[in-house]
Amino acid sequence: MSKYFTKDKWYYCFRILSNPGDSFYEIRHREYGSVPIALLMVFIFAICYSMNRLYSSFIVNDVDPRAVNLFPEMLAIFAFVLLFAVGNWSITCLMNGEGRLKDIIIVTGYSLLPMILFYIPAILLSQVVSLNEKGFYSLLIIIGTAWTLILILVGIMTIHNYTLAKTLVTLALSIVAVLLMLFLFMLVTDLVAQVYQFFHSIYQELIFR
Amino acid sequence: MRIGKKITALLSLAAAFIVAAQTVVASADTTLPYDSYNYDYRENIVYTPAPYTPDRSVSGLTIKVGGFNNPQDIYTAADGRVYIADTNNNRIVVMNREMTKAIEVIDSFVTDDGSSGTFNKPYGVAVSNSNELYIADSQNRRIVHLSAPTTDENVNAPVENNRLYLGKISDPKSEILEDGFDFVPYKVSVDYADRVYVIAANMFQGIMVFEEGNFTGFFGTINVQITAWQKFWRKFSTKEQRSKQQLFIPTEFTGIDVDDDGFIYASNIDTEGIQAVRRLNPKGEDVIRKGENGNVGGDVVYRESFEKGDYNGPSQIIDVVVRDKGIYSLLDKKRGRIFTYDSEGNLLYIFGGLGTQVGTFSVPTAIECIDDNIMVLDSYRGEVIVFKETEYGNLINSAVGLRYDGDETQAVELWRKVLTLDENNELANSGIGKAYLSDGNNEEAMKYLKLGMNRRYYSIAFKRHRATVLKKYLAPALTIIIVLFVALYAFSIFVRERREAEERRREAAKSHV
Repeated sequence: MSKYFTKDKWYYCFRILSNPGDSFYEIRHREYGSVPIALLMVFIFAICYSMNRLYSSFIVNDVDPRAVNLFPEMLAIFAFVLLFAVGNWSITCLMNGEGRLKDIIIVTGYSLLPMILFYIPAILLSQVVSLNEKGFYSLLIIIGTAWTLILILVGIMTIHNYTLAKTLVTLALSIVAVLLMLFLFMLVTDLVAQVYQFFHSIYQELIFR
Repeated sequence: MRIGKKITALLSLAAAFIVAAQTVVASADTTLPYDSYNYDYRENIVYTPAPYTPDRSVSGLTIKVGGFNNPQDIYTAADGRVYIADTNNNRIVVMNREMTKAIEVIDSFVTDDGSSGTFNKPYGVAVSNSNELYIADSQNRRIVHLSAPTTDENVNAPVENNRLYLGKISDPKSEILEDGFDFVPYKVSVDYADRVYVIAANMFQGIMVFEEGNFTGFFGTINVQITAWQKFWRKFSTKEQRSKQQLFIPTEFTGIDVDDDGFIYASNIDTEGIQAVRRLNPKGEDVIRKGENGNVGGDVVYRESFEKGDYNGPSQIIDVVVRDKGIYSLLDKKRGRIFTYDSEGNLLYIFGGLGTQVGTFSVPTAIECIDDNIMVLDSYRGEVIVFKETEYGNLINSAVGLRYDGDETQAVELWRKVLTLDENNELANSGIGKAYLSDGNNEEAMKYLKLGMNRRYYSIAFKRHRATVLKKYLAPALTIIIVLFVALYAFSIFVRERREAEERRREAAKSHV
């Protein structure tokens, strides 16, 4: 277990913030990345996301507190990260990408770090801003999100050894793949439900006879 | 021992249940045939105490003039007389203020040339400030103008046809009207300057305005709104398809009323359910205020209209009445509900429903108010249903009235009473919050404004609260920080000095040895 959480691996988790290109290269080729740390990042991000919805002050926050629920939201974020990773992996496999599934998960998880780092100060800042100063809060959120998106772009580009254009194309195709997977999933669950219902009605016919 | 304990526990539980049941009965009025509700900030339905309760119903039989037949309009004049356009009986019935007896029945009049005139399906009726009577005589295609009443209210039997003929408006001529235009007036209204506003059949350009009997122009045209999606589809459809499609024509106005300042309130059926009433200034521009949720269209939440059933889709606002202090009420034909808004466009309360019990409607057609009562005309049953204000309704009306007059501090007392009846009332909470804000009690203001979901004023209160907190604690906090820094610095110097002294001593000892 400890091999996943060595000092080097923690260091690289933060190093991506300053030089993403080099760090992601070394994560891919010198095994400086760690999937458990990436999943931990997703976990922390999910908590920050729900906290932002719940604890940002009334002035900047229009979310109904009754609508915030940590566990479904966390489940959705994990599901999306994994779906994206699988989708991206299945596309890049066909398009000469060098990254492994493991690397894609690490890139996605690590890239969420700026969002975590900006959401927490944003929540604290929201406690002291008035409506005119709402822009500062929004600015923090926007910077965090933009940084994360840039990191994902650079990360995917580096681990697959792609050009920028090819990265953008694969990212768009990954989203299509995610939608396709969701569609298939729904199709399968629906069919299974129908089969189940068929046998269930036979069972009911028999016991009511 | 043990059993005794259990029995006492059971008994106390039963007692608690009985008490709870009693309070429930006390708070919910189970005798009303409809629900009273409102929408909160997040557009959830919140049930409220009834603002109005049905008082009685008045028909032609109760005032002994024979039953009304498909009456289409009701109007209360400034002198308190209540006019009903008894459409299919071709007459106008006038009642006293309390609607206990008929004072006048008008079904014919003597015109200028001495011949006798009658009505043919009079749809609308209106009374000017000088109590002169205007009747939209639809199938005779004219507006009949009759004089003020010549008899007082104290009559034993209804007086017939005591009004003098003052003129008529018919066959309007203008360049902007099409040739062969068929003038069929449905609703009519008069302002303080005796300008006549008419809603006519198939008149999509707006309300027709007449001054001294002459047509002067249209007023308050509703612009057609085509969505990008509809435009997109039209581009790809052939000419034949286009001719089969729904025409993009503006909706017609359904009801009209004039307030004391001469602003025209006109209702229309809005298929989007967003704006069903317009407040038109003398230039014909819409100056209505739409409140926080930008909606003055009746029900905010409803089932979509393509689903099965006639009870879904946006409200169909059929009439509007302007009440005191900028408050106005809309009547919904689809679900029989009455929506009341204040001058800022906030929904105050909603009540009413369709049905056959007393207090519900079959076909609600027109709405009016007199004193504290609201009256709804049901054309199918030929009845006027009178609603009287409850304590809850009265408190809200008075509080809104006080705020309209700029007397917010007096309104606070009333808002507090509203909160005892309906503790989540957002208007009451934000009203109290605003009063605290102007009193300078920012913390209380923040509490109430948050309950009232009034973000803008909450922010103001918060800013002031923040300033006082900073003023109070910033100087001591900074002082403490500076003192700490200085102390830390002094301490580090002291430690260094001591260490150096120690070293010097050690070296001195070494050199001695």
